[in-house]
Amino acid sequence: MSETNSWAEQWFKAQQQFVDAWSDMAKSSTSGNDTSQSDLWAQSFELWRKACSGQAQPDIQQAMNKCLDMGKEYFAMAEQVSKGMTDGANPIEAINQWMEQMKQSLQQFGGVPGFDGSGVNDFMKQWFSPNASWKEMVSGLTPMNQAFWQMPGMNTSVFNLGEMVDPLGKVLEAPGVGYFREPQEKQQKGLQLALDYQEANFKFNQAFLRIAMESIQGFQNRLLGLEGDSVPKSLRELYDLWVTVSEEHYAEFAMGEEYQALYGDMVNRLMIMRRHYGEIADDFLRTLNLPNTREIDTMQERLQQVRRDNFALKKEIREIRAMLQQMNSRPEPAAKSAPASKTTPAVKTAPAAKSAPASKAAPASKKAPAAKKAPVRKKTVASKTKVTRTKAGA
Amino acid sequence: MSNIPFRSDQVVEELVQFNKNLSQGVKNLLDAEEISEGVTPREEIYTEDKLKLYRYQPSTGVVQNKIPTVIVYALVNRPYMADIQENRSTIRGLLDTGQDVYLIDWGYPDRADKYLTLDDYINGYIDRCVDVIRERHGVDKINILGICQGGVFSLCYTTLHQDKVKNLVTMVTPVDCKTPDNMLSHWVQKMDIDAIVDAMGNLPGEMLNWTFLNLKPFQLMGQKYVSMVDIISDEKNVKNFMRMEKWIFDSPDQAGEAFRQFIKDFYQQNKLVEGGLKIGEHEVDLKNLKTPVLNIFAEQDHLVPPASSKILPKLIGSKDYTELSFPGGHIGIYVSGKAQATVTPAISSWLNARS
Repeated sequence: MSETNSWAEQWFKAQQQFVDAWSDMAKSSTSGNDTSQSDLWAQSFELWRKACSGQAQPDIQQAMNKCLDMGKEYFAMAEQVSKGMTDGANPIEAINQWMEQMKQSLQQFGGVPGFDGSGVNDFMKQWFSPNASWKEMVSGLTPMNQAFWQMPGMNTSVFNLGEMVDPLGKVLEAPGVGYFREPQEKQQKGLQLALDYQEANFKFNQAFLRIAMESIQGFQNRLLGLEGDSVPKSLRELYDLWVTVSEEHYAEFAMGEEYQALYGDMVNRLMIMRRHYGEIADDFLRTLNLPNTREIDTMQERLQQVRRDNFALKKEIREIRAMLQQMNSRPEPAAKSAPASKTTPAVKTAPAAKSAPASKAAPASKKAPAAKKAPVRKKTVASKTKVTRTKAGA
Repeated sequence: MSNIPFRSDQVVEELVQFNKNLSQGVKNLLDAEEISEGVTPREEIYTEDKLKLYRYQPSTGVVQNKIPTVIVYALVNRPYMADIQENRSTIRGLLDTGQDVYLIDWGYPDRADKYLTLDDYINGYIDRCVDVIRERHGVDKINILGICQGGVFSLCYTTLHQDKVKNLVTMVTPVDCKTPDNMLSHWVQKMDIDAIVDAMGNLPGEMLNWTFLNLKPFQLMGQKYVSMVDIISDEKNVKNFMRMEKWIFDSPDQAGEAFRQFIKDFYQQNKLVEGGLKIGEHEVDLKNLKTPVLNIFAEQDHLVPPASSKILPKLIGSKDYTELSFPGGHIGIYVSGKAQATVTPAISSWLNARS
């Protein structure tokens, strides 16, 4: 830790110098048109990332990376906003111009075969973070990693999905022959399922692209409609407004029937494909005389049932033991009558019963005549549950 | 609006400040110590498979409630959310107001746990933990505090084992899983849950994480990290921020069979409301629940919308029902300062009045 600290101190000092130098430079030139400045911002983030890489625990490294990624995107926004704000130009016009450029750029992506959001740069990248994180997660959960999608015929970002499916479709439709007919058919089916998933993923991404463009328009409209205190007074407030508008557009989309269908279809197709490849892997393991998932599942299921039975039996044994103990602790009937009258136990219990607050118990029985209470009970059962409402902090 | 009232030099100033904060924040992150899971001292008193039952060290100098309380947390995420930091701990708050607190930690299920069902969790694990606590304290009934999905489990458990439950507290608990504002529920309606469980075995925690983060992707994957720069530039905040960050991404896998039943019965078929819910061999009809209930929900909860919890009094048979509405979100109800000042004392005074 001390080594890290000493490194961190030096590194921090260097960064401070860097920031100070940058600050001086920025103050002396506020034109914002100097592209070398924005390069410097971007480079600084990369520099930091490299410098910190491997210095922190994984949790912290992950948070730091996210912070640097978002910092970079935030700076990209700042660059675009400040670009048009020089020489007394109207910032709204500058923002609108930037937004129009973004829309055009996104429109172009609409025509890219197999669009998956990965080519989107600048600030709009955030709109495709659900797709990017989905892709990342899927590659960790399925045997279809990035290399799989780069195989001939599978790379939808190079080939048009519609054009690609046909030639591959012929291959996939060709009947399996000979001794290996069954494995051949399974492989063909696997490829078909992979293509089905790719298609569902493509449709999902296309829908995001459309909503992202709509959100840009929504942001422009919102900016134009703002008055008084709601007008952003700083870059951060402008950014927060962008987040609010984007989140609203996203929520409307995500709560719609279209999203439900597209997302459901994408997940289902991925799972069907994965299950199929799992079966192929099982077949392969069986040929090697190695245990496969099916066999392990069977054992686990049986084992779980045995454990349930065990717990049930243990419980039953405990109950039987308790019953036996109770029975054993009871005095024998023969020993009860004769000596008991001679010795004192019966006499001992009697005072206890007397000393017990008989007088207290008595009124209770008087107080609660069954006949009187019954109707009240009926009434309460019929009425609704009594609700006491409180507000925290009220 | 014709203009925005800030200039380019102001933007540069903001960026320079942002950069300075980031620089300081990165340094603070590098200096940060390892993050612990929970802060209040506790003792492991029972263990079974991956489950651990903890008892928290009672506070001294307070009048103790004789009836112990067990916290049943969700299978999703980890229970140290209820004990995230010294001054933001629901558990600490309960101890300081006289409760004797136990917690069921489900651990991290793996392939060996794939065939655990809701019956195993509710009538198995929870029931055995409750028995252990009853025996230790020599009482017939104990209090249960169910959190989120753990609240659903607690509702089912209490309905089936009322002879063992004195009072039930449910926090941010989804009861009606098909309210129109429930995004999570909306997303799963067209999902083939059988295909998911058959393909994956257990549901990977990463998939759950993806789902939760994408309920509000711009805030949770973007804005949060921009705001984080301001927060972590102050050394004191780094550890707390990292605790929360660690918790968010600490998602155990979900035992396949339990997940299959939970999503199908609760989220797709809404059986707690519509009826027909069976846990193992036992039918769960909330009308049979006569135990006193305190139902707490968060007004800005994006995971469990308030309407999802607020339906509870219409479904249960208990005559003693109290609800508490908290002006905050699903996580804020445990970690915010406001929650420490209002929610936890309210739980304790409600329990004390009924114990």
